[in-house]
Amino acid sequence: MTQLVLFNIFNGLIIGAFYALMALGLSLILNLSGVINFAHGGFLAIGAYIAYSLIPYVGFWGGLLLAPFLTAAIGIAVERVLIRRLYGRDPLYSLLLTFGLAFIFEDGTRYIWGAQSLPYQIPSWLQTSLSSELFFVTGYRVFMVLLVGVAVGALFVILNHTRLGIRIRAGTLDLETVSVLGVNVRILRNLNFGLGIYLAGLAGVLAAGMLGLQPTIGSSLLMPSFVAIIVGGLGSLPGTLLGGLLIGVASGLTTVFFPSASEAVIYVMMGLVLLIRPRGLLGEEGRF
Amino acid sequence: MLRGKETVNTSENSRGMRRRALLKAGAAAGLLPLARPFVVSAWAEDTVKIGLDNPLTGVYAALGKNELIGCQLALEQINAKGGILGRQVELLVEDSTSGDAGTAVQKARKLIERDNVNFLLGNINSALAVAIAQVSNEKGVFHIVPGGHTDPVTGKDCHWNVFRVCNTTRMETNSISQVLFDKFGKKWYFLTPDYAFGHTLQEGFEAGLKKLGGTELGADLTPLGTTDFSPYLIKAQAASPDVIIFLQAGDDAVNALKQAVQFGLDKKFHIAGAQQELEVLEGLPPEARIGNWVFEWYWKQPGVAHLDEFVAAIRKTSGGKVPTARTWFGFTSTWSCALAAEAAKSLEPVKMAKAMQGLKLPPEVALMPNDPFYREGDNQLMPTLGMPSQRASRTPKTCSWSTSRSGASTRRCRSRTPGAR
Repeated sequence: MTQLVLFNIFNGLIIGAFYALMALGLSLILNLSGVINFAHGGFLAIGAYIAYSLIPYVGFWGGLLLAPFLTAAIGIAVERVLIRRLYGRDPLYSLLLTFGLAFIFEDGTRYIWGAQSLPYQIPSWLQTSLSSELFFVTGYRVFMVLLVGVAVGALFVILNHTRLGIRIRAGTLDLETVSVLGVNVRILRNLNFGLGIYLAGLAGVLAAGMLGLQPTIGSSLLMPSFVAIIVGGLGSLPGTLLGGLLIGVASGLTTVFFPSASEAVIYVMMGLVLLIRPRGLLGEEGRF
Repeated sequence: MLRGKETVNTSENSRGMRRRALLKAGAAAGLLPLARPFVVSAWAEDTVKIGLDNPLTGVYAALGKNELIGCQLALEQINAKGGILGRQVELLVEDSTSGDAGTAVQKARKLIERDNVNFLLGNINSALAVAIAQVSNEKGVFHIVPGGHTDPVTGKDCHWNVFRVCNTTRMETNSISQVLFDKFGKKWYFLTPDYAFGHTLQEGFEAGLKKLGGTELGADLTPLGTTDFSPYLIKAQAASPDVIIFLQAGDDAVNALKQAVQFGLDKKFHIAGAQQELEVLEGLPPEARIGNWVFEWYWKQPGVAHLDEFVAAIRKTSGGKVPTARTWFGFTSTWSCALAAEAAKSLEPVKMAKAMQGLKLPPEVALMPNDPFYREGDNQLMPTLGMPSQRASRTPKTCSWSTSRSGASTRRCRSRTPGAR
């Protein structure tokens, strides 16, 4: 029993790292632009499908490298053409827009690639478990967690040590002042959106190696990511990371004792956090 | 690490607003599956109408697509032969979603009340099939369930107007329990999708296991649409059974099997289940196409009349893909509507239902040996089940068709056709 619990905590951390990757992208966009991006799951699916289509030409690694960038390019175009127009308005407008986009993306992938699940191949040396005891720690999952680590690290470096990152953080605090100081806020938001979508695309490519590649791949991962943001605290990227890990572990542990509630438990957690500490675990007081 | 202070947030929107908006968004996401209208074909006065209320989105979208392709081929053939009772036939298609009974029922009502369909077809999801069968029964509309397997559809929840083409869950488990027990061991663990289909499959296996004297080491219910099966797999492996029984279908089955093989569980235990479908196998990488399963229908059956023509016709419309059991379900269901009407010489539902009871499918519709027929008493089509005797190979080439017509439903149907008593 102890072993089962420990295994599930460990496994939950792996899954949680994945949720966190997706939630970080959402969080970036929400923080700077105030857009609740419901199409994030759609972008994730697009990333995965692009990688699938690229693999025959550039191989698994080429797909992993290129697909997130192409997804980000689509994201930048979508921001430029559609989302930008709604910044000045009530957030519900952009919410409705991205909500609609989510449908368009899901049905679009179904139209182009078909409703049929596609067999997404990963290199066979990544397939095997590292030890027969810890059978659920496959090479692929270790690789995934490492990549999430690298992505989070890179995000940290970008936000703290590049001009773009410093402007994004400044804009998050006070966009008007940043604008008055001569920073082109339109471009800033555009690039920030692209960065967030890049993370979605990366999450998509990683998910496709682990799960079946289906048009619904994004929408089923979207809600846990929103929950991760709320549990961790709106506006806090470390909070988002923590939230992702927590819901992964919670859902894993619930499976041990009461499997049919494994999906509901993350919403119960969200409810509890909202009741007891409405700003989220690491959210700053009074911010939201 | 990132510090919270550095990434705090304001914008032109009020702060309280944004959290509320996010919560509203969450609520809206719950409504997501409700908001999907689907194109309805042109309306014509004097046509006979068949309404298909089946998943086109979600976990069962691929299965739904193939049933639709089968329906469309049958429709073409029926119209080419002069339609039903001399009238052309049209197909109205609605997306029921893969798991939302509310939407499925609403679409069924729309097809019946607004479009006045003569026939209703659906649903792949067993729970939705039971739900819309209630509607069709209340309205007295002739209804065929092409591919929803749970026992009650033609068992305890049966209706005089509801017929079923695919097998019952009990027929599937009966045809494989013995083999699994004899060949692979008597300690079983179940991973069961948490709705009618999974529940009755598991009951069927449990009954078989009890009779054979085996043990059930555990069973976990997985919500429909589960993507991450790793916690369940960890639990199943901790129980160290002889056989892990996967009862998922559609995209759920793809996700579960892909992860099970990545974890190497296929090397430690035997992996098996009841229903397996080509749609699932096509969605899996080759190394994950493993296990022992029941195939209800297969596109290669030696010596079956008209099968080659059917395969060729489907290949033409589906870009070279072979028909699956789902294609056959859709095809046979649609043809059955025409057969019932022609046999009754009427579109009166009661007359058609009576004509359909005991009706034998002609070979160009049956596409399988042993003359399947609609059994009188519960309206269940009695076909033959195919079970690949060894591992479900990449593309299962040899199916040893067991010709047993095993397994009446556990609780027999108690329904009578109006005027039949």
